[in-house]
Amino acid sequence: MSQQPRLYSPYDEPMWKSIAQGEMKLQRCTESGVFRYPPGPACPETLSLNYEWVPISGNAKIISWTVFHRKYLPAYPAPHLVVAIELEEGPIMVSYMDHDVIDRIRLDAPVKLEYVDHPDGYRIPKAVLAD
Amino acid sequence: MQDNIADGSTDTSDISAVVGIGHTDYVDDYRRVRNGEKPHDSYGYATVAFKKALADAGIDRSEVDGLIVGPTTAYERMGEILNIDPTWGGQADAVQAVFQAVMAIKSGMAEVVALVYGNDQRSAAVQYGGPQAMGGQSFLSYVYHSPWGLTSQGALYALMFQRYKALWDLSDKDLGQVAVGQRQWASLNPNAIMSKKPLTIDDYLAAPYVAEPLRLNDYCLINDGGVALIIMEASRARKVAQKPVYIRGLGRSDLNHQATSLGPRLVDFYRPAQQKAAQQVYSAAGIGPKDIDALLVYDSFTPHIFFALEGFGFCEQGEAAHFIAQTGIGVNGKLPINTHGGHVSESYMQGWNHQIEAVRQVRGGLDQRQVTDCRHVQYISDVAGKAMSVIYGA
Repeated sequence: MSQQPRLYSPYDEPMWKSIAQGEMKLQRCTESGVFRYPPGPACPETLSLNYEWVPISGNAKIISWTVFHRKYLPAYPAPHLVVAIELEEGPIMVSYMDHDVIDRIRLDAPVKLEYVDHPDGYRIPKAVLAD
Repeated sequence: MQDNIADGSTDTSDISAVVGIGHTDYVDDYRRVRNGEKPHDSYGYATVAFKKALADAGIDRSEVDGLIVGPTTAYERMGEILNIDPTWGGQADAVQAVFQAVMAIKSGMAEVVALVYGNDQRSAAVQYGGPQAMGGQSFLSYVYHSPWGLTSQGALYALMFQRYKALWDLSDKDLGQVAVGQRQWASLNPNAIMSKKPLTIDDYLAAPYVAEPLRLNDYCLINDGGVALIIMEASRARKVAQKPVYIRGLGRSDLNHQATSLGPRLVDFYRPAQQKAAQQVYSAAGIGPKDIDALLVYDSFTPHIFFALEGFGFCEQGEAAHFIAQTGIGVNGKLPINTHGGHVSESYMQGWNHQIEAVRQVRGGLDQRQVTDCRHVQYISDVAGKAMSVIYGA
């Protein structure tokens, strides 16, 4: 059982460790204060190499969604609801939700992140309706 | 404001012309592959298309001094097979290959550039989604999306179109107009894989969703084949070809900011990039959207058509569904779109088949699907945030 999904860059590991602990952290530029996702070497606003890892609130809103009607990955049988959410801190990220809430999915609907176990052996932030 | 671009002085007009085109027999290759045969690999399909393009141009291989190959074949190996030792060459996708050919000719690095593309994606069972997705391990989007189950290009366009659909209150029928229109064109194209099956809006709606709101017929085909073009310096082309098809203008603008987290798609719908590219391509060609006789749009998925129409000024923001219904994009429509059937009905040649359809329409003399008085054909693509366009003309 791996503790995290495959990493793309050395900047990814602290994020997945924070997710494993149930408190997702993102990099924040110490000069501009801008949060960034995905993790990376520099702030796109300032190109500053200085950053800190800061826990996010977990509050977000839905900006789009799609339902997979075919099974693409063993972990996610169809129908599988994927959402794009805009975090309170600014970045957009992809997540997923339980399909049974599909009738209540709307643009800008508020969601919260929860931490659940992925079949591949790591924890993952999942979106649930906030209201 | 980038002045030289904003005022339209990007001079890409009439540097070069297409003098030869070639393609494989998509229908026969499809039939054979379904029967378990493997007629060619990627290099073989490219070679068949290259020989046809060379014959169409009526020139000898020794005149070719530039070689650009598609992303599915290695440059050096393709050059080895075709026995071309160019003064300039490389590997690029369809529209970038056209741009690079024009740039090589403009700079004097080459005068006659062969563009060759071959793909055995169906016989090789290439996966565009799921755990074995082609090249997926190297793409940021697969690393930052797949833990949540988002792995296919189609799903990215599904996310994009779902937001668009919700913002403008569209129905599934609105999107279905594109697949229906392109299938009409395919029915007049003997080289289209889907030429024998008409598609009504009810058929479209009866087909299953793949990644909602996209249904089966919103997705491109997966097939084997090859395409080639010979692009020549314009003054030389006039001496060689009876009817050179000039590249009248190019336009390009990219959006990379927040690309992995889908900002350019979901916040901007690629529109600012398309508007800049539109300004360049129309300025270079000295025309506007109203002068376009046929429009060819990279259509791995049907939503591309909506974003192209709005981004390039054929209609206002949020108006594409209405525009398509009112104007008509299929046979007898006022703005013919993807007159070969596109990727969803003719063949999925990753934008390469659109380039040769532009040439065929401008040359004229096609049978039933010839667009009347076709003087200007525009190509538009928005792949991965690169908004690009070419205008071809007589």
